[in-house]
Amino acid sequence: MSIVTVRNVTRRFGSFTAVDGVDLDIGQGEVVGILGANGAGKTTLMKMILGLLRPTAGSITLFGRSPGRETRRRIGYVPQDLGLWRDLTADENLQFSAGVFGVRPSPAPEGSGGRLVGDLSLGVQRRVAFAAALQHQPDLLILDEPTSGVAPLARARLWEEIRSRAEAGTTVAVTTHYMDEARQADRLVLMAGGRVIGTGSEADIVGSLQAVVVATDHWDAAFTALDEAGLAATMAGTDLRVPGAETAAVEAVLHRAGISAAVTASSATLEEAMVVAGTP
Amino acid sequence: MKAMILKEFRQLRRDKRTVAMLIAIPIVLLTVFGYAARFDITDIPTAVLGPGASVAEGMLQEPFRVTTVDPAGDAGTAHDLLRDGDAIVAIVTGPTTIVYVDGTELFTAQSALRRAGSLPPGVQVEILFNPELSTANIMIPGLIGFVLLAIGTIITSLGVVRERAEGTIEQLAVMPLRPRDVIVGKIAPYFMFGVLDLVLITVLGLVLFDVPFRGSILLFAMGGLLFLFVALGFGVLISTVSQSQGEAIQLAIMVMIPQILLSGMIFPLQSMPMGVRWIAYLLPLTYFVMIMRGVFLKATPFHALSMPYMALLIMAVVVFGLAVLRFRRDLAPTRRASRRSQGAPA
Repeated sequence: MSIVTVRNVTRRFGSFTAVDGVDLDIGQGEVVGILGANGAGKTTLMKMILGLLRPTAGSITLFGRSPGRETRRRIGYVPQDLGLWRDLTADENLQFSAGVFGVRPSPAPEGSGGRLVGDLSLGVQRRVAFAAALQHQPDLLILDEPTSGVAPLARARLWEEIRSRAEAGTTVAVTTHYMDEARQADRLVLMAGGRVIGTGSEADIVGSLQAVVVATDHWDAAFTALDEAGLAATMAGTDLRVPGAETAAVEAVLHRAGISAAVTASSATLEEAMVVAGTP
Repeated sequence: MKAMILKEFRQLRRDKRTVAMLIAIPIVLLTVFGYAARFDITDIPTAVLGPGASVAEGMLQEPFRVTTVDPAGDAGTAHDLLRDGDAIVAIVTGPTTIVYVDGTELFTAQSALRRAGSLPPGVQVEILFNPELSTANIMIPGLIGFVLLAIGTIITSLGVVRERAEGTIEQLAVMPLRPRDVIVGKIAPYFMFGVLDLVLITVLGLVLFDVPFRGSILLFAMGGLLFLFVALGFGVLISTVSQSQGEAIQLAIMVMIPQILLSGMIFPLQSMPMGVRWIAYLLPLTYFVMIMRGVFLKATPFHALSMPYMALLIMAVVVFGLAVLRFRRDLAPTRRASRRSQGAPA
């Protein structure tokens, strides 16, 4: 059963098209990671799914109906800036949220009790935001960069919670540009330039994309030569990686520059797939 | 320094609202308030009563404007006409002619009294409702409204803008709340404090300045609460068109200044040209001043104040209606689309 159905959705801001003809289905209990660089259109898409923005064209349905007050009853949302009232305590935030949804408030996460949210560490604030978003047992959980700025242990705890909710049937949509976070998803949706350019597992997204690995003592000269040739390289230790390039093309550039290097092909990473996708 | 000046000019060029305030507002302020800020009375609504009413009518010259001629009228009629605001001066002719002047219209009363010097001998002048022509008596009821307006408009607008600035408005928007739930919830505490302020400053005004309270507490409460609704509605409306607390304060000040100068609280409506007076009639403080001066000083009954009450009611409905409509853009942008799609045939 499709919980979120996005059909040919476009959103323009003046002459700028933020989301361009996107189709997307998210099924019950699925954890979907919407991935893309800054400006890829993922936050705009998420805001349209939440009903915060109206599509310029196309349609979105949640639980089989248009986003509205009834669908909002079934959604839990944690925005990137958490959406907590900083001048209320953690308990008071949870009481407000529970009151709106007509449920009993959850206990505040450990260490957050009677203190103002603004005085809590970011990690604890995130746990409070999650508790607020989950206490009405939402059918759809929408998370915008959910573990941004959170320590590794706290991040693992939050994902443990998200996974357990998904196993219980909650659908989860996560926007992120962190690869670690993206790998937690059952399915990835890669966006660039407002369009969905890949969907599936990490292997599906990366596909046959390769990166050329350049090992040389003259990495700085190699970097400059590749850059001048229009080949985007990244550093990996003292090696260079050139995602999406042909081995022969890289060898030719280095040869012309008089740089001796060992050039090999390697599977691209998810990050590199995103970089290639975002490159015009 | 040159770079700094250049930067400020560039920023200012893009801040259209501030540029408008810097250029348009002084022009508006000077022209409108230049006409409004005067104490010269050009129009004194006057009733002539008693057996010699017609003769007296013929003798009256500007600024007296005869609104009522009633040969059967007497002192009681004059009192009622002044109490209900139908006239500011009432001349009761008879064996002894008495000129009654409404003391709550301070400048008009003073102007009328100056002209009383040219009256024939034997004519008595009596000032009703504010015989000492006390300034405090007429200012305090208006100042109560100004304080409510300032608190209601500025504090409410800041409260809502803060939600937007801190990003929590988005959280409210994804919750199953209706725009009116948010607005009512948002203003309820301010309304409560507004009521508290209303009582507090009224009691202070009565105690510290010896202002009389002769009318009905119920009418006072009705006027105060209606006006508070309008003030809070302005606050919410301002917040829906402001992106920052600075913008909200700018707008709140722009809403308040005309009310201070044009509402009749300081400068009498009778001294304003008709064009400016019509602006005054669009301002809620004008009606609050009418109601409160009537209730405090003249014990004016409801039927004579029904028009200002109705005006405040209409303003409350319009301002709140606009605020809800504007707020809906923030809170439920897909609502109309949702209704359309649900209403469409399958």
